[in-house]
Amino acid sequence: MLVSFLCIIMTIVSYIIAKFIYKKSKIFILTPLIIAPVLLSSCIILLGIDYTDYDKGGRWLTNMLQPAVVGFAVPLYKYRAVLKKHMRVILVSMSSGAIVALASSGIYAHLVHLKNDYLLSLLPRSVTTPIAMVISADIGGVPTMTAIFVIVTGICGLILGPIIIRFFHIREKLAKGLLLGMGAHGAGTSKALEFGTEEGAAASLAMVLAAVLTLIFAPIITPLILL
Amino acid sequence: MIKVFKILIQVAVLYFFAIIGNLLSSILHLPISGSIIGMFIMFAMLYFKILPVSKIEMGASFLLSEMLLFFVPSAVGILQYKEAVFNYGTQFLLVICLSTITVMIVTGIVAERFSRQKERYR
Repeated sequence: MLVSFLCIIMTIVSYIIAKFIYKKSKIFILTPLIIAPVLLSSCIILLGIDYTDYDKGGRWLTNMLQPAVVGFAVPLYKYRAVLKKHMRVILVSMSSGAIVALASSGIYAHLVHLKNDYLLSLLPRSVTTPIAMVISADIGGVPTMTAIFVIVTGICGLILGPIIIRFFHIREKLAKGLLLGMGAHGAGTSKALEFGTEEGAAASLAMVLAAVLTLIFAPIITPLILL
Repeated sequence: MIKVFKILIQVAVLYFFAIIGNLLSSILHLPISGSIIGMFIMFAMLYFKILPVSKIEMGASFLLSEMLLFFVPSAVGILQYKEAVFNYGTQFLLVICLSTITVMIVTGIVAERFSRQKERYR
Protein backbone atom coordinates (compact mmCIF):
# COMPACT_ATOMS: atom_id res chain seq x y z
CA MET A 1 0.00 0.00 0.00
CA LEU A 2 2.75 2.40 1.03
CA VAL A 3 4.86 1.38 -1.98
CA SER A 4 1.94 2.00 -4.34
CA PHE A 5 1.40 5.46 -2.91
CA LEU A 6 5.12 6.20 -3.19
CA CYS A 7 5.02 5.08 -6.82
CA ILE A 8 2.22 7.52 -7.65
CA ILE A 9 4.19 10.37 -6.06
CA MET A 10 7.36 9.32 -7.90
CA THR A 11 5.48 9.26 -11.21
CA ILE A 12 4.05 12.74 -10.70
CA VAL A 13 7.42 14.16 -9.61
CA SER A 14 9.25 12.68 -12.61
CA TYR A 15 6.50 14.04 -14.88
CA ILE A 16 6.91 17.54 -13.41
CA ILE A 17 10.71 17.36 -13.81
CA ALA A 18 10.31 16.09 -17.40
CA LYS A 19 7.92 18.91 -18.26
CA PHE A 20 10.36 21.42 -16.82
CA ILE A 21 13.23 20.00 -18.89
CA TYR A 22 11.06 20.11 -22.03
CA LYS A 23 10.06 23.74 -21.43
CA LYS A 24 13.64 24.85 -20.77
CA SER A 25 15.28 22.96 -23.64
CA LYS A 26 12.55 23.37 -26.29
CA ILE A 27 13.95 20.29 -28.03
CA PHE A 28 10.93 18.29 -29.14
CA ILE A 29 12.73 14.96 -28.98
CA LEU A 30 13.04 15.57 -25.21
CA THR A 31 9.26 15.24 -24.87
CA PRO A 32 8.01 14.47 -21.33
CA LEU A 33 6.87 11.18 -22.76
CA ILE A 34 10.48 10.10 -23.19
CA ILE A 35 12.12 11.81 -20.20
CA ALA A 36 9.58 10.89 -17.49
CA PRO A 37 9.51 7.15 -18.23
CA VAL A 38 13.33 7.05 -18.46
CA LEU A 39 13.71 8.84 -15.10
CA LEU A 40 11.06 6.70 -13.51
CA SER A 41 12.35 3.40 -14.87
CA SER A 42 15.85 4.19 -13.58
CA CYS A 43 14.40 4.98 -10.12
CA ILE A 44 12.41 1.75 -10.09
CA ILE A 45 15.44 -0.31 -11.07
CA LEU A 46 17.78 1.49 -8.63
CA LEU A 47 15.33 1.15 -5.72
CA GLY A 48 14.72 -2.48 -6.63
CA ILE A 49 10.96 -2.04 -6.89
CA ASP A 50 9.18 -4.88 -8.67
CA TYR A 51 7.22 -3.79 -11.76
CA THR A 52 4.01 -5.45 -10.52
CA ASP A 53 4.29 -3.42 -7.28
CA TYR A 54 4.83 -0.25 -9.30
CA ASP A 55 1.83 -1.05 -11.46
CA LYS A 56 -0.48 -1.26 -8.44
CA GLY A 57 0.10 2.46 -7.96
CA GLY A 58 0.58 3.33 -11.62
CA ARG A 59 -2.80 1.87 -12.49
CA TRP A 60 -4.48 4.68 -10.55
CA LEU A 61 -2.96 7.22 -12.89
CA THR A 62 -3.68 5.14 -16.00
CA ASN A 63 -7.31 5.01 -14.87
CA MET A 64 -7.47 8.78 -15.12
CA LEU A 65 -7.37 8.34 -18.90
CA GLN A 66 -11.03 7.33 -18.70
CA PRO A 67 -12.38 10.72 -17.54
CA ALA A 68 -9.87 12.29 -19.98
CA VAL A 69 -11.54 10.47 -22.89
CA VAL A 70 -14.95 11.67 -21.66
CA GLY A 71 -13.39 15.14 -21.60
CA PHE A 72 -12.86 15.01 -25.39
CA ALA A 73 -16.59 15.74 -25.60
CA VAL A 74 -15.70 19.38 -24.87
CA PRO A 75 -13.47 20.11 -27.93
CA LEU A 76 -15.83 18.00 -30.04
CA TYR A 77 -18.75 20.14 -28.85
CA LYS A 78 -16.86 23.38 -29.41
CA TYR A 79 -15.82 22.48 -32.97
CA ARG A 80 -19.19 21.00 -33.96
CA ALA A 81 -19.71 23.87 -36.46
CA VAL A 82 -16.41 23.09 -38.23
CA LEU A 83 -17.28 19.40 -38.21
CA LYS A 84 -20.67 20.01 -39.77
CA LYS A 85 -19.39 22.38 -42.46
CA HIS A 86 -16.64 20.07 -43.72
CA MET A 87 -18.30 16.80 -42.81
CA ARG A 88 -17.84 15.05 -46.17
CA VAL A 89 -14.16 15.93 -46.55
CA ILE A 90 -13.48 14.97 -42.95
CA LEU A 91 -15.34 11.66 -43.07
CA VAL A 92 -13.81 10.52 -46.37
CA SER A 93 -10.22 11.44 -45.48
CA MET A 94 -10.45 10.15 -41.91
CA SER A 95 -12.02 6.85 -42.97
CA SER A 96 -9.28 6.27 -45.53
CA GLY A 97 -6.71 7.27 -42.91
CA ALA A 98 -8.10 4.89 -40.29
CA ILE A 99 -8.29 1.96 -42.72
CA VAL A 100 -4.79 2.63 -44.06
CA ALA A 101 -3.45 2.89 -40.49
CA LEU A 102 -4.75 -0.56 -39.55
CA ALA A 103 -3.90 -2.22 -42.87
CA SER A 104 -0.43 -0.72 -43.33
CA SER A 105 0.61 -1.57 -39.76
CA GLY A 106 -0.46 -5.15 -40.40
CA ILE A 107 1.13 -5.43 -43.84
CA TYR A 108 4.48 -3.92 -42.79
CA ALA A 109 4.50 -6.12 -39.66
CA HIS A 110 3.99 -9.16 -41.91
CA LEU A 111 6.82 -8.03 -44.18
CA VAL A 112 9.30 -7.87 -41.28
CA HIS A 113 8.06 -11.25 -39.97
CA LEU A 114 6.65 -10.19 -36.60
CA LYS A 115 4.71 -12.69 -34.49
CA ASN A 116 0.92 -12.38 -34.44
CA ASP A 117 0.66 -11.00 -30.89
CA TYR A 118 3.11 -8.22 -31.74
CA LEU A 119 1.33 -7.60 -35.05
CA LEU A 120 -2.05 -7.30 -33.31
CA SER A 121 -0.56 -4.97 -30.70
CA LEU A 122 0.70 -2.73 -33.53
CA LEU A 123 -2.63 -2.38 -35.38
CA PRO A 124 -4.34 0.31 -33.24
CA ARG A 125 -1.12 2.32 -32.67
CA SER A 126 -2.26 5.50 -34.42
CA VAL A 127 -5.08 6.39 -31.99
CA THR A 128 -4.89 7.90 -28.53
CA THR A 129 -3.58 5.49 -25.85
CA PRO A 130 -6.69 4.69 -23.76
CA ILE A 131 -8.65 3.70 -26.84
CA ALA A 132 -5.71 2.00 -28.51
CA MET A 133 -5.28 -0.17 -25.40
CA VAL A 134 -8.96 -1.11 -25.41
CA ILE A 135 -8.89 -2.00 -29.13
CA SER A 136 -5.69 -3.97 -28.60
CA ALA A 137 -7.34 -6.05 -25.87
CA ASP A 138 -10.43 -6.57 -28.06
CA ILE A 139 -8.52 -7.92 -31.07
CA GLY A 140 -6.11 -10.05 -29.02
CA GLY A 141 -3.04 -7.85 -28.73
CA VAL A 142 -1.05 -6.91 -25.62
CA PRO A 143 -2.42 -3.56 -24.34
CA THR A 144 0.77 -2.44 -22.56
CA MET A 145 2.84 -3.09 -25.69
CA THR A 146 0.27 -1.12 -27.69
CA ALA A 147 0.69 1.78 -25.24
CA ILE A 148 4.39 1.84 -26.05
CA PHE A 149 3.77 1.65 -29.83
CA VAL A 150 1.31 4.55 -29.51
CA ILE A 151 3.95 6.64 -27.77
CA VAL A 152 6.58 5.82 -30.42
CA THR A 153 4.00 6.70 -33.11
CA GLY A 154 3.49 10.09 -31.46
CA ILE A 155 7.21 10.82 -31.50
CA CYS A 156 7.52 9.66 -35.16
CA GLY A 157 4.59 11.82 -36.21
CA LEU A 158 5.95 14.91 -34.47
CA ILE A 159 9.14 14.64 -36.52
CA LEU A 160 7.73 13.36 -39.84
CA GLY A 161 4.42 15.30 -40.01
CA PRO A 162 5.88 18.72 -40.87
CA ILE A 163 8.27 17.12 -43.40
CA ILE A 164 5.35 15.37 -45.16
CA ILE A 165 3.29 18.59 -45.21
CA ARG A 166 6.15 20.38 -46.95
CA PHE A 167 7.12 17.58 -49.32
CA PHE A 168 3.56 16.91 -50.58
CA HIS A 169 2.60 20.61 -50.73
CA ILE A 170 -0.35 20.29 -48.32
CA ARG A 171 -1.73 23.84 -48.19
CA GLU A 172 -5.26 23.52 -46.74
CA LYS A 173 -5.32 24.16 -43.00
CA LEU A 174 -7.97 21.48 -42.59
CA ALA A 175 -5.81 18.90 -44.38
CA LYS A 176 -2.74 19.75 -42.29
CA GLY A 177 -4.68 19.32 -39.04
CA LEU A 178 -6.42 16.12 -40.12
CA LEU A 179 -3.13 14.53 -41.22
CA LEU A 180 -1.42 15.36 -37.92
CA GLY A 181 -4.35 14.27 -35.73
CA MET A 182 -4.93 11.05 -37.69
CA GLY A 183 -1.27 10.10 -37.97
CA ALA A 184 -0.04 11.01 -34.50
CA HIS A 185 -3.02 11.47 -32.09
CA GLY A 186 -2.36 13.88 -29.20
CA ALA A 187 1.27 14.50 -30.11
CA GLY A 188 0.24 15.46 -33.64
CA THR A 189 -2.46 17.72 -32.25
CA SER A 190 0.08 19.62 -30.18
CA LYS A 191 2.18 20.09 -33.34
CA ALA A 192 -0.90 21.25 -35.27
CA LEU A 193 -1.54 23.92 -32.62
CA GLU A 194 1.93 25.27 -33.42
CA PHE A 195 0.78 25.75 -37.05
CA GLY A 196 -2.34 27.66 -35.94
CA THR A 197 -5.67 27.40 -34.09
CA GLU A 198 -7.61 26.20 -37.14
CA GLU A 199 -5.11 23.40 -37.74
CA GLY A 200 -5.27 22.61 -34.01
CA ALA A 201 -9.06 22.38 -34.05
CA ALA A 202 -8.99 20.09 -37.08
CA ALA A 203 -6.37 17.89 -35.39
CA SER A 204 -8.36 17.55 -32.13
CA LEU A 205 -11.34 16.53 -34.16
CA ALA A 206 -9.20 14.12 -36.17
CA MET A 207 -7.89 12.54 -32.96
CA VAL A 208 -11.41 11.83 -31.67
CA LEU A 209 -12.66 10.62 -35.05
CA ALA A 210 -9.59 8.43 -35.58
CA ALA A 211 -10.38 6.71 -32.28
CA VAL A 212 -14.04 6.14 -33.13
CA LEU A 213 -13.36 5.02 -36.72
CA THR A 214 -10.55 2.68 -35.69
CA LEU A 215 -12.87 1.21 -33.07
CA ILE A 216 -15.36 0.49 -35.87
CA PHE A 217 -12.89 -0.75 -38.52
CA ALA A 218 -10.52 -2.77 -36.30
CA PRO A 219 -12.83 -5.81 -35.84
CA ILE A 220 -13.50 -5.84 -39.63
CA ILE A 221 -9.93 -5.44 -40.86
CA THR A 222 -8.10 -7.58 -38.27
CA PRO A 223 -9.38 -10.95 -39.59
CA LEU A 224 -8.45 -9.90 -43.16
CA ILE A 225 -4.89 -9.17 -42.08
CA LEU A 226 -4.57 -12.47 -40.25
CA LEU A 227 -5.61 -14.45 -43.36
CA MET B 1 -7.73 27.00 -3.96
CA ILE B 2 -11.33 27.38 -5.19
CA LYS B 3 -10.02 26.65 -8.68
CA VAL B 4 -8.39 23.39 -7.53
CA PHE B 5 -11.61 22.39 -5.82
CA LYS B 6 -13.65 23.16 -8.95
CA ILE B 7 -11.30 21.11 -11.14
CA LEU B 8 -11.51 18.17 -8.70
CA ILE B 9 -15.32 18.21 -8.77
CA GLN B 10 -15.44 18.51 -12.56
CA VAL B 11 -12.97 15.62 -12.94
CA ALA B 12 -15.22 13.59 -10.62
CA VAL B 13 -18.20 14.38 -12.85
CA LEU B 14 -16.25 13.23 -15.92
CA TYR B 15 -15.24 10.07 -14.06
CA PHE B 16 -18.88 9.47 -13.19
CA PHE B 17 -19.77 9.49 -16.90
CA ALA B 18 -16.94 7.05 -17.59
CA ILE B 19 -18.35 4.72 -14.92
CA ILE B 20 -21.85 4.96 -16.44
CA GLY B 21 -20.30 4.19 -19.83
CA ASN B 22 -18.49 1.17 -18.38
CA LEU B 23 -21.72 -0.11 -16.82
CA LEU B 24 -23.66 0.29 -20.09
CA SER B 25 -20.86 -1.37 -22.03
CA SER B 26 -20.81 -4.42 -19.75
CA ILE B 27 -24.60 -4.72 -19.31
CA LEU B 28 -25.34 -4.40 -23.03
CA HIS B 29 -22.19 -6.35 -24.08
CA LEU B 30 -21.14 -3.52 -26.39
CA PRO B 31 -17.82 -3.86 -28.23
CA ILE B 32 -17.02 -0.20 -27.47
CA SER B 33 -15.08 0.93 -24.42
CA GLY B 34 -17.01 2.56 -21.58
CA SER B 35 -15.12 5.82 -21.72
CA ILE B 36 -16.07 6.33 -25.39
CA ILE B 37 -19.74 5.70 -24.53
CA GLY B 38 -19.31 8.17 -21.68
CA MET B 39 -17.89 10.68 -24.16
CA PHE B 40 -20.90 10.32 -26.46
CA ILE B 41 -23.34 10.70 -23.54
CA MET B 42 -21.44 13.77 -22.41
CA PHE B 43 -21.50 15.19 -25.95
CA ALA B 44 -25.27 14.63 -26.14
CA MET B 45 -25.73 16.36 -22.77
CA LEU B 46 -23.77 19.36 -24.02
CA TYR B 47 -25.46 19.39 -27.43
CA PHE B 48 -28.99 19.33 -26.00
CA LYS B 49 -27.98 21.91 -23.40
CA ILE B 50 -28.82 19.61 -20.48
CA LEU B 51 -25.39 20.40 -19.07
CA PRO B 52 -23.71 23.74 -19.77
CA VAL B 53 -20.15 23.37 -21.07
CA SER B 54 -18.91 25.75 -18.35
CA LYS B 55 -19.70 23.10 -15.71
CA ILE B 56 -17.04 20.69 -16.98
CA GLU B 57 -14.75 22.79 -19.16
CA MET B 58 -12.05 23.40 -16.52
CA GLY B 59 -11.85 19.77 -15.50
CA ALA B 60 -11.78 18.57 -19.10
CA SER B 61 -9.06 20.96 -20.19
CA PHE B 62 -7.00 20.08 -17.10
CA LEU B 63 -7.20 16.37 -17.92
CA LEU B 64 -6.47 16.93 -21.61
CA SER B 65 -3.50 19.23 -20.97
CA GLU B 66 -1.92 16.86 -18.42
CA MET B 67 -2.84 13.78 -20.41
CA LEU B 68 0.80 12.81 -20.94
CA LEU B 69 1.10 12.11 -17.19
CA PHE B 70 -1.47 9.33 -17.45
CA PHE B 71 0.55 7.71 -20.23
CA VAL B 72 3.74 7.56 -18.14
CA PRO B 73 2.91 4.36 -16.15
CA SER B 74 2.10 2.53 -19.41
CA ALA B 75 5.37 3.70 -20.93
CA VAL B 76 7.21 2.34 -17.88
CA GLY B 77 5.50 -0.94 -18.76
CA ILE B 78 8.22 -1.32 -21.38
CA LEU B 79 10.34 -2.73 -18.49
CA GLN B 80 8.24 -5.87 -18.76
CA TYR B 81 9.15 -6.26 -22.42
CA LYS B 82 12.90 -5.65 -22.32
CA GLU B 83 13.49 -8.85 -24.25
CA ALA B 84 10.95 -8.06 -26.99
CA VAL B 85 12.35 -4.56 -27.44
CA PHE B 86 15.90 -5.92 -27.50
CA ASN B 87 15.05 -8.58 -30.09
CA TYR B 88 12.52 -6.78 -32.29
CA GLY B 89 13.18 -3.08 -31.60
CA THR B 90 14.33 -2.33 -35.17
CA GLN B 91 11.33 -4.08 -36.72
CA PHE B 92 8.93 -2.23 -34.41
CA LEU B 93 10.48 1.11 -35.27
CA LEU B 94 10.48 0.35 -39.00
CA VAL B 95 6.80 -0.67 -39.03
CA ILE B 96 5.74 2.34 -36.96
CA CYS B 97 7.70 4.89 -39.03
CA LEU B 98 6.63 3.53 -42.43
CA SER B 99 3.02 3.14 -41.39
CA THR B 100 2.86 6.65 -39.87
CA ILE B 101 4.26 8.08 -43.13
CA THR B 102 1.71 6.13 -45.21
CA VAL B 103 -1.23 7.22 -43.04
CA MET B 104 -0.23 10.87 -43.04
CA ILE B 105 0.28 10.98 -46.83
CA VAL B 106 -3.07 9.29 -47.57
CA THR B 107 -5.08 11.39 -45.07
CA GLY B 108 -3.41 14.63 -46.11
CA ILE B 109 -3.73 14.13 -49.87
CA VAL B 110 -7.36 12.94 -49.72
CA ALA B 111 -8.36 15.89 -47.52
CA GLU B 112 -6.44 18.35 -49.72
CA ARG B 113 -7.94 17.09 -53.00
CA PHE B 114 -11.48 16.95 -51.61
CA SER B 115 -11.47 20.42 -50.13
CA ARG B 116 -9.99 21.93 -53.30
CA GLN B 117 -12.64 20.22 -55.44
CA LYS B 118 -15.36 21.60 -53.22
CA GLU B 119 -14.02 25.11 -53.72
CA ARG B 120 -13.93 24.74 -57.52
CA TYR B 121 -17.59 23.72 -57.79
CA ARG B 122 -18.80 26.69 -55.83
